[in-house]
Amino acid sequence: MAVITGVTCPVCGTFCDDIELIIENNVIVEARNACAMGAAKFLNYSAHRTKKPLIRKNGELVEVSMDEAVEKAAKILVDANYPLMYGWSNTSCEAIRTGLELGEEVGAVMDNTSTVCHGPSILSVQDVGIPSATLGQLRHRADLIIYWASNPWSAHPRHAERYTMFSDGRFEGSTWKSYLSRLRGVMSRKKIQRASNLVLKQDFCFTPQVEEGLPSSVHQKRRRTIVIDVRKTRTADAADCFFQVEPGTDYELLQALRVLVNDGELDVDEVAGIPIETLEQLADLLVNCKLGIIFFGLGLTMSKGKHRNIDAAINLTRDLNKRTKFLIMPMRGHYNVTGVNIVFTWQTGYPFAVDLSNGYPRYNPGETSAVDILSRDEADATMVIASDPVAHFPRAASKNIAKHPLIAIDPEVTPTTMLADVIIPPAFVGIEAEGTAYRMDHVPLPLKKVVEPPETCLSDQEILQRILQKVRELRRDMN
Amino acid sequence: MIILDPKRAFRFPIEAKNISPDIFAKKSSKEIAALQMWEGNRKGALGDLFNIKNDSGSPSEEFTIKIEGDASKLRNIGARMSMGHIVVDGDAGMHLGEDMSGGTITVAGNAGSWAGSKMKGGTIEIKGNAGDYIGAPYRGSTKGMNGGKIIIHGNAGYEVGCFMRNGLIQILGDVGLFAGIHMSNGTIFVQGNSEGRAGAQMINGKIVICGHTPVMPTFTIDSIKPKVKVDGEKIEGPFYRFIGDLADNGNGKLFVSKTKNPHLSPYEKYLE
Amino acid sequence: MTELIIKNGFVYDPLNRIDGEKMDISIRDGKIVESVKEKANGINASGMVVMPGGVDIHTHIAGGEVNSGRLLRPEDHVKDVEVKTALTRSGVGYSIPSTFTTGYRYSKMGYTTLMNPSMAPLEARHTHEELADIPMVDKAAYPLLGDWWFSLEHIRDGLIEENAAHIAWMLQATRGYAIKIVNPGGLEAWGFGRNVHSLDDVVPHFNITPREIIRGLCKVNRLLNLPHTIHVHTNNLGKPGNYVTAIETMKCVEDLAQGDKPVIHITHIQFCAFKGSDWSTLSSGAGEISKYVNNHNHVTLDMGQVIFSNTTTMTADGPFQYGLYNITGNKWVNHDVETETSGGIVPFKYKRSSAVHATQWSIGLEIALLIEDPWKILMTTDHPNGGPFTSYPKILAWLMSRAAREITLSKINKRARKKSLLPSIDRELSLYELAIVTRAGQAKALGLKPKGHLGVGADADVAIYNIDPQRLDISKEYKVARKAFKKAAFTIKDGEVVVKDGEIVKPVTGKTYWIDVSTSMPHEINDDIKKKFREYWTVEYENYPLPDSFIHSSFPIPVKAEV
Repeated sequence: MAVITGVTCPVCGTFCDDIELIIENNVIVEARNACAMGAAKFLNYSAHRTKKPLIRKNGELVEVSMDEAVEKAAKILVDANYPLMYGWSNTSCEAIRTGLELGEEVGAVMDNTSTVCHGPSILSVQDVGIPSATLGQLRHRADLIIYWASNPWSAHPRHAERYTMFSDGRFEGSTWKSYLSRLRGVMSRKKIQRASNLVLKQDFCFTPQVEEGLPSSVHQKRRRTIVIDVRKTRTADAADCFFQVEPGTDYELLQALRVLVNDGELDVDEVAGIPIETLEQLADLLVNCKLGIIFFGLGLTMSKGKHRNIDAAINLTRDLNKRTKFLIMPMRGHYNVTGVNIVFTWQTGYPFAVDLSNGYPRYNPGETSAVDILSRDEADATMVIASDPVAHFPRAASKNIAKHPLIAIDPEVTPTTMLADVIIPPAFVGIEAEGTAYRMDHVPLPLKKVVEPPETCLSDQEILQRILQKVRELRRDMN
Repeated sequence: MIILDPKRAFRFPIEAKNISPDIFAKKSSKEIAALQMWEGNRKGALGDLFNIKNDSGSPSEEFTIKIEGDASKLRNIGARMSMGHIVVDGDAGMHLGEDMSGGTITVAGNAGSWAGSKMKGGTIEIKGNAGDYIGAPYRGSTKGMNGGKIIIHGNAGYEVGCFMRNGLIQILGDVGLFAGIHMSNGTIFVQGNSEGRAGAQMINGKIVICGHTPVMPTFTIDSIKPKVKVDGEKIEGPFYRFIGDLADNGNGKLFVSKTKNPHLSPYEKYLE
Repeated sequence: MTELIIKNGFVYDPLNRIDGEKMDISIRDGKIVESVKEKANGINASGMVVMPGGVDIHTHIAGGEVNSGRLLRPEDHVKDVEVKTALTRSGVGYSIPSTFTTGYRYSKMGYTTLMNPSMAPLEARHTHEELADIPMVDKAAYPLLGDWWFSLEHIRDGLIEENAAHIAWMLQATRGYAIKIVNPGGLEAWGFGRNVHSLDDVVPHFNITPREIIRGLCKVNRLLNLPHTIHVHTNNLGKPGNYVTAIETMKCVEDLAQGDKPVIHITHIQFCAFKGSDWSTLSSGAGEISKYVNNHNHVTLDMGQVIFSNTTTMTADGPFQYGLYNITGNKWVNHDVETETSGGIVPFKYKRSSAVHATQWSIGLEIALLIEDPWKILMTTDHPNGGPFTSYPKILAWLMSRAAREITLSKINKRARKKSLLPSIDRELSLYELAIVTRAGQAKALGLKPKGHLGVGADADVAIYNIDPQRLDISKEYKVARKAFKKAAFTIKDGEVVVKDGEIVKPVTGKTYWIDVSTSMPHEINDDIKKKFREYWTVEYENYPLPDSFIHSSFPIPVKAEV
């Protein structure tokens, strides 16, 4: 039995690095400190995996040697007039670096999953910038935390505990005690209600709490948390205050808040279903904190308005910096989606949707992005690595992926691999192979190798390196 | 007149910035055929893709290029052109007339997104519909359309006139979200309906909407005008005149038809 | 064993006091040697200038802030692209080139060693990943340590030796080369949106002043025997009247100097040489600064020259960048790093027509020309803050030619021109002096012994330029010289010809230098840092230091500390 400490968790963008794994006979038997999502990955990753390369022959997937699979993949890429290489956010930076070299060699379009998650955030960052920080800065200093259209309770389970409301920093402490007492209050109220229903056969009536505007807890001199979302989430339950937004009106709300924090006035009585008086109180809270932070999620980037929602949110943050210190950060999903943007950027200048078909990087999401290219059926071959676009892309795009040769480098069985013509299953990065990945706040951390992969599985990087080599050989033979 | 007749249907994006009167002028058919064109990741020549006919029957002053058939995969047609005409028989691909400073482009069918992007002068007329980002700048830049005229007979998509600095965009049909976002000058004239958020984050300039539209809460009503002037022409109203975007300290003018927008009547109380 | 001989060039090797002498340079296995066999490959350099490879003491080429700058500016890349060739990778250029392009473009100008001056320790892994993708040159990085909580606490408590040992740990953990200090105290204050405004302002919550931080780290630097001095970006950078702060900063470590050895490097001095009470009264503090530097030997400077161009400013000075955003209204990135530092990025256009920008342009050149000893003032643009490094040949032309300066002067803002000291300066740098400000002086200030010269034992990093000093009067024909500096006739890296006629002929990877300090108490320090780790940072102790296997062509320089 071996205990390995300080393991990074290759699941979500929180990218916790304090996991302790217990290993017995090359099998992970326990994952301490991990959330449910992390534990599930560490303990079950190997349950339904492909171990040997497969090629579709006469409609059937058959096992082949690594060399045969690599050659077939290389041939597909060399023959293609406009190949797309997509995925990348669930693999190491080292693999991405090699992938970009391969993409350049075959004149591919390189795109990553941010194209369907925080791509819009990036577009608005390119318009206005982004005032942000590492997560520790917020743990130490943030006294006002806003989760806007993001629900870490479900999607980033340890975010609050490690970095925000339930974390202890140098200047701000955890608010778990006040959360617990509030929870107790709610529970006992529920209990009384239930008892009263049973005993008195009637609804127990509380004296209605006379609260002017926002709950008093948001005015306390301690860290406070606000949730703004279209529905009340688990995170909202834990927060000091919740604002419910009419779906599709975040943009209006953000712009209205910008007017209010600049002491302006509006002609309307409510915005996004929230009365102006309440919004004025919210604006006061924003202006009067010492350090505020907005964490925003896909609810903002993928709802009506897309990148312009983020444009407005960042501009709100910019405005607030005239009055206090305010920061903003996207809640990135995959553990290395931040890293893939970073590596793409240092090698090509652009974070996603990079078209290398003309021998140099070109970038224009909408034109050079995977979903758009596939929807227009322009790609004549696709290589997918560590991702499942068939399940997540719009139907027209998925259908067009399947029409043309498809290479999948993925250990898991997914709708994408099921349609693939070549499947090369790699070792799981962060478990069976090492590398580097970036947390959502751009902090780089090592991915560790804690168990040996099956003999037939190479790392993503090695596979890509072999394909690259083969591509160069084929090219040489052609000339 | 040079006529380009596609040899086959195209399926990969084609980099067609060489299709421009400025580049064709003073070149022989042979030289034109040799102009570089990328199709997907293969470098080729214009002559590989098109039959080139030189119809120099009437030596007119204005140089004209005509593309017969479907040009929807051709990107950057007429990019940086400063004179002459381009006529597209069918649909045109993205970035039509990007960065152009003079001349005219006429498209019989639809045009893709970024038509007239960074445009400084000249005219683009699209008989069908147009995509998103008409007259917009490149990603990360604030230098949008700075002159010239774009006329769209059909509908247009999102972010028409994004970061617009000057010129006129006229849409005879409907327009998508965020028409005139971040615009600082120029005019957008929508004869149909707007999906909403017109003039969002605008600093200055003029947007006229003759059909139905929601209005952003960050606009304030200023007056009711019986008519409004667009490109020297008087458009009959009456129009509500809004000022915004207040969030960006903007002084943009948003004219919205009074008759087509009864839901805006509560604003009238501020005018009494 | 590979040998190479550079024949008949006019050699400028100031560290060995060789001033344009016609001689051969022999190379074996990547080093300069006394002589090689006759049949060795030869380069005919007759009618050409031979210099050591260029060294850049301060250029932002890799890491978190540089890359955020890249991400921020697609509109900057789109106008300047590099197409893939059989030998080279593709990329984008202008103010913040992609990694490969950065390496190629420096190499084409005859540069062979680059110092990345701004590395947040927590993100060192990122910097080194990018450095690995910068080909053609040797490189190193300076960790930001002036606002590190350990530094602030130790120095406040008078624990200089403890701090020295902790910084030794940090140099090892981040594979760093020198102690970088940016707006000392100001970055910690910026955590809550504040700043410090003088050397004696107290840093909120830490009860320490910038003066104490600078002096403390200067002492630490000496205790550790680091080859370079502390590398300081002053307080009040970019503010009118700040030349006083710059002089005070130099003064505050005067007494720590021993002999003529420098103890402080003030970087991009142009940005801290502003006189006047506000932007409308801005004038040059070059006179005062150069007077001080001419009378003191404990300081080296680099220029931070401004080029009229559309560039991208990026520093760890969060509050300064915020100020720049407020002035311009441009897009703005801020990135504060827990317990360590901050950072900001704002695109910026220097215009000839602006009185302020034109004055800045003048200040940089004034300082470079008024400081008599070229070993004290090194040529940089603080790339990309003053302008991209690709404009270095322009600066060389201004330095070597009064005529070149006058042409630009005639095009700048009238008010700035009237105030400029340049018309009163006749000095024109010789090729020998240019070799000092672009390589010899840079290597000397860095304490980088195998670089910046062509003596026996030096690394065979050589630049050969198509300038015939016997025929070309560079002061008059500066345009020819400028062109020659833009495209080296040859660049030789570790004994191999990597650039010919300004084009890459052989892609190579370079070394990464870092300082491996041995102290007498490594274990105590480990334990102390480990104890506080979870309290200070949000990553685990064991994931913080970089393993040696992570560093691309790692090249540690062993140093024995006095603690």
